[in-house]
Amino acid sequence: MQQENRKLNFDVLVVGGGIAGGESALNLANLGYKVLLVEKELSIGGKMILLSKVFPTLDCAACITTPKVSEIARHPNITIFTGAEAKNITKKGEHQFEAVVLKKPRYVVVEDCTGCQLCEEACPVSVTDEYQYGLAGRKAAFIPFSIASPRAAAIDIENCILCGACERACPTNCIDFTQTEEEVLVKIKSVVVATGFNLFDPLKIPRYNYGKAKNIITSMQMERQLAPTRPYNTILRPGDGKMPDNIAYVLCTGSRDKSIGNPICSQICCMYSIKQAQLLMGALPMADVTIYYLHIRAFGKGFNEFYAQAQDMGVEFVKGKVGKITEKENGNLMLRYEDIEAGVVKEAEHDMVVLSVGVLPNMEISESFKTEKLALDPFNFVNQSDVLASPAKTSIEGVFVAGTASGPMDIPDSILSGGAASAETTSYLRRASL
Amino acid sequence: MAGGKVNNSPKILVFSTEKISDPAIDMAGLLKLHYPPTVYTIPVPCSSAIKPRWIMHALEQGFDGVFIAADGTDCPYGESCTTKTGEIVRETMEQLKEKGMDPARLKMAAICSVCSEPFVKHVKSFAEYLGKEKEVNAVE
Amino acid sequence: MKKKIGVYICHCGGNISDYVDVEKVRQAVENEGGVFLSKTTMFACADSNQKDMVSDIKEKQLDGVVVASCSPKLHLLTFRGVAERAGLNKYNYVHANIREQVSWAHSDNKTGATEKAIHIVKAAIAKVRNAESLEPVKVQSTKAVAVVGAGVAGMRAAIELAEAGAEVFLIEREFFVGGRVSQWDDLCITDETGKELITRLYDRVMQHKHVTLFTGAEIVENKGSVGNFEIKVKVTPRHFKLQCSGGELQKAIDVCPVEVPDEFNFNITKRKAIYHNYPSEYPQLPAIDMKTCTRCGKCEAVCNAVDFSQKTEYLNIKVGSILLATGFDPYEPPKGEFGYGEIDNVITLPQFKRVIHYNDKRLIWQGKEVKNIAYIYCVGSRQLNGDNKYCSRYCCTSTIHTAITAKNKYKGIHNFHFNRGIRTYGKAEVRYDESSRLGDVYLQSFEYDPPVVEARDGQTFVKIKDVLTANKELEVAADLVVLVTGMVPRKDNSIAGLLKVPKGRDKFFNEIHMKLRPVETVIDGVTIAGASQGPKNIMESMNSALSAATKSFSLIDSGELALEPTVAVVNKEACEWCGKCDEACPYSAFEKVEKDGKMIAKVIPSVCKGCGMCLPVCPSNALELIGLSDHDVESMIDVLIEKDTV
Repeated sequence: MQQENRKLNFDVLVVGGGIAGGESALNLANLGYKVLLVEKELSIGGKMILLSKVFPTLDCAACITTPKVSEIARHPNITIFTGAEAKNITKKGEHQFEAVVLKKPRYVVVEDCTGCQLCEEACPVSVTDEYQYGLAGRKAAFIPFSIASPRAAAIDIENCILCGACERACPTNCIDFTQTEEEVLVKIKSVVVATGFNLFDPLKIPRYNYGKAKNIITSMQMERQLAPTRPYNTILRPGDGKMPDNIAYVLCTGSRDKSIGNPICSQICCMYSIKQAQLLMGALPMADVTIYYLHIRAFGKGFNEFYAQAQDMGVEFVKGKVGKITEKENGNLMLRYEDIEAGVVKEAEHDMVVLSVGVLPNMEISESFKTEKLALDPFNFVNQSDVLASPAKTSIEGVFVAGTASGPMDIPDSILSGGAASAETTSYLRRASL
Repeated sequence: MAGGKVNNSPKILVFSTEKISDPAIDMAGLLKLHYPPTVYTIPVPCSSAIKPRWIMHALEQGFDGVFIAADGTDCPYGESCTTKTGEIVRETMEQLKEKGMDPARLKMAAICSVCSEPFVKHVKSFAEYLGKEKEVNAVE
Repeated sequence: MKKKIGVYICHCGGNISDYVDVEKVRQAVENEGGVFLSKTTMFACADSNQKDMVSDIKEKQLDGVVVASCSPKLHLLTFRGVAERAGLNKYNYVHANIREQVSWAHSDNKTGATEKAIHIVKAAIAKVRNAESLEPVKVQSTKAVAVVGAGVAGMRAAIELAEAGAEVFLIEREFFVGGRVSQWDDLCITDETGKELITRLYDRVMQHKHVTLFTGAEIVENKGSVGNFEIKVKVTPRHFKLQCSGGELQKAIDVCPVEVPDEFNFNITKRKAIYHNYPSEYPQLPAIDMKTCTRCGKCEAVCNAVDFSQKTEYLNIKVGSILLATGFDPYEPPKGEFGYGEIDNVITLPQFKRVIHYNDKRLIWQGKEVKNIAYIYCVGSRQLNGDNKYCSRYCCTSTIHTAITAKNKYKGIHNFHFNRGIRTYGKAEVRYDESSRLGDVYLQSFEYDPPVVEARDGQTFVKIKDVLTANKELEVAADLVVLVTGMVPRKDNSIAGLLKVPKGRDKFFNEIHMKLRPVETVIDGVTIAGASQGPKNIMESMNSALSAATKSFSLIDSGELALEPTVAVVNKEACEWCGKCDEACPYSAFEKVEKDGKMIAKVIPSVCKGCGMCLPVCPSNALELIGLSDHDVESMIDVLIEKDTV
């Protein structure tokens, strides 16, 4: 593990181990190609593995993600680097790419870790848990989340006080503070970019008072509260731990909003909000849920029916644009909004507000391409150079794009896009062997 | 049913089919369409594969009713399925009559792969019928 | 009889354990005969649990495994894989469905649900106790794929399959390829026209030596199954020989006395019985529509390429997989829906696109210049009373795009969009924004209060209670009313019946699982692509076509398929050949053979599909299905009828 500047050969480098990258990697591996999957986070599975249930079938996200993730993890043709980033991808010629993969030290020998969590118990340092989107705390020695893959501990060196408690507690001696950052040079024939998206940060809309008013959370935080691996085991408002009974959703937070620089629709927020509303009706039978929207975009297979189902269940839909959210003394929130149907400005009180945050491009990857530029589209997603006939093609021949790296899309579309990227990669590789 | 007492509910054995009616029964669960929990399912590849002796065995061992969730015209193995399943039902009913048992304890309906609501309706009304029969028999 | 069975009961993170007391289930089954260990687990399918199972099986030498979790459609294969990795033959694994058929179905009755779960797990244990190790039946598979439908999805899939190394038969029912996209001019997203996109794809199809294109062709028969479908393709002749000079062709068209509505232009124009789909006519050879041809012989007299002697051909083709890309039909409004078929300036969106195609400088409909256009959205989609509850996905974007096109092409156009909430999802949002900036007017109503179209005083009016202006009643006098019709499944979808592909609630072809297996159907070897699975735009169709191509290819790539060994077996002692099994079998999987001086039936395992149709017809009960023997079924029944334990 410690060897510096290793050189490795693969057929394909897949950047991003979410659901789209995973689908591409699996398809390619099943056809016999050797794949290197590089994931920035400590676990593969992307954003999907952290979700509660998925629309419109209400399957639990974990039930779909975990077996795929485990299939990827044990596939003989797939090598996975977690906590790693692909830097410096250069094209040397047709079917010849080189990349430098930066592997950050985990300070744990994954192969030896049994996931017993004794290090977690022993660690005296508590910090905010990013995998619970700040809703709970974790230790500096920690397992990212219970269904992570690999399900192995990691040391958060930024917050670690080097007390050695975890080392003493570990029954298999898998903690290793001597690990260092490693650069691995890989030679590949083709690249799949599946770097996903970023969520909009609502701090950028000060009039919503996110971050100040305690009972305003993002939809991803609500997702965590509803997930089986959730922090509180029920739905609570973070301000005072009270069970909410009147929840508002503010759609298009950070989408369709030129003032924050994102004019496009995020494609998923309407549906995930409707899904969360349905789950909330089940979890808190007495609660009222109101969704403030501009247009409900229930366009996919079974989506409009799912929207109708939410209406039948009693979810309130208000066509209105939310202008301002203010906090009352009791922690409740006042929403000032334009009621479009009535044509007047109104105010409503809710005890919890969920901001349905949108999808933003993850631009980092374009900087990794050194010799040839990976072109971005006007919205800074990876540009699809032949969007109608070959949606996975990018500006660089031999580099393909999968999933939300090319624009907002839901899970079924991401999986199909992952399939398309693997198909294009297959024929590109076949041309190399002819 | 909300009280949780299930013992009085008639026990029904459903023969479902792996590709057609079983997905519909799964979807009934997904849509939270409730039916009595004393309904049990044994999936078979095709409703034309059900041996009359299995049905007889179930009814003789104590099931109040047997419901065949048939493939109907959707059968992936061929169009003859409807006739063949019908023949199984006819033959079994005759055996029931011979033994002095109520042939209405066997019921069949075609359940397509998205027929979740029809399935629930069928088993509910079947359970109701069998429940009434049970009461009558108990009084007698 | 097994003695070391492992039983795992899944919480499914609450999906099961919120309604079923999984610990109670575990306690109720731990002393069942043969059970060696029993555990509950948060997620049975999670990697960590799979690893635990593998080490349990190895270390404790388990000889049978039961997982009680979700439907076997999701994870039967997952856990069979676990058994295999641990060195246990995968047929010693039995799956118990306590989620879809227990916890979710009986979420209203926790006691009842727990009781049912106990019975189901016990039945699974009874079955696994009797299970035997089996080896898969290996069959050779044909490295060829039939792609049905040569629209954008079908052509793209065909190219990809051929490039990956498969032999491809591309089968198109019409005489011309291109499907719906060939009927459109400039496409949204890029400036490319439908014709240009079709040209690109058609050229690649024709260049590829491993793609064989049949037009005027359809599958009329299918025997066999995954790996070896034996299909019969009916090819209707176009009655035109390859060589034909341009001038003669035009003469032949001119002299043809038959005029019929041109479906390519959605019946707004007429064509002759000799026709081609102008301007997207690939192959570039006209065809004679024999349904309407009167055989007058006039064309033959002026053009020697006409050939009435061509006969319908039937070809037998063997393929390993079939990819369906049969597309959609635009919704056809019944007479009177928003005045369609009654008021003559009410047309559909597809018709409007063809009208724009044929009008260069000024937009003329029925001899009058059009300035004010009213678009009525969601016609045939999101129906409150009709069957089409779904959203057709592409129409909002397509309409706005078309409206902008009309505005840019002709002077003085005013667009009025009578919508139900615009759904320009994703990047298409900027088109909506653009049209608003260009001055297009948007008026909205809800499903229960649609706009009304009225003809009075020689004018057509569209009336709406507009949500966007506090439900004010507004009226627009329109020169043209465009009904934004959605996508519906193909009227003639007989291919689905032939291949037994199931349809969903929306009547489009249904996938196995939207996220796990989005392009596969329950019919092994048959994949689905494009709008045949549900409304999609071009890019989405391409993604699904490429995914389906990958799936189809992975089935046939190795040249060999491992089939389920759960086939029928004959009890040699009991069988007295009567032939009834042979009659019942849809696959001719029986042979009559001599054994110990008598004739008996023998099953050919590679042909048997394990449907079991032969089982009940045997008068001497000499047939059983592996994995579903009398003993299996009856021992499950015996357990299911046991008294409650709670």
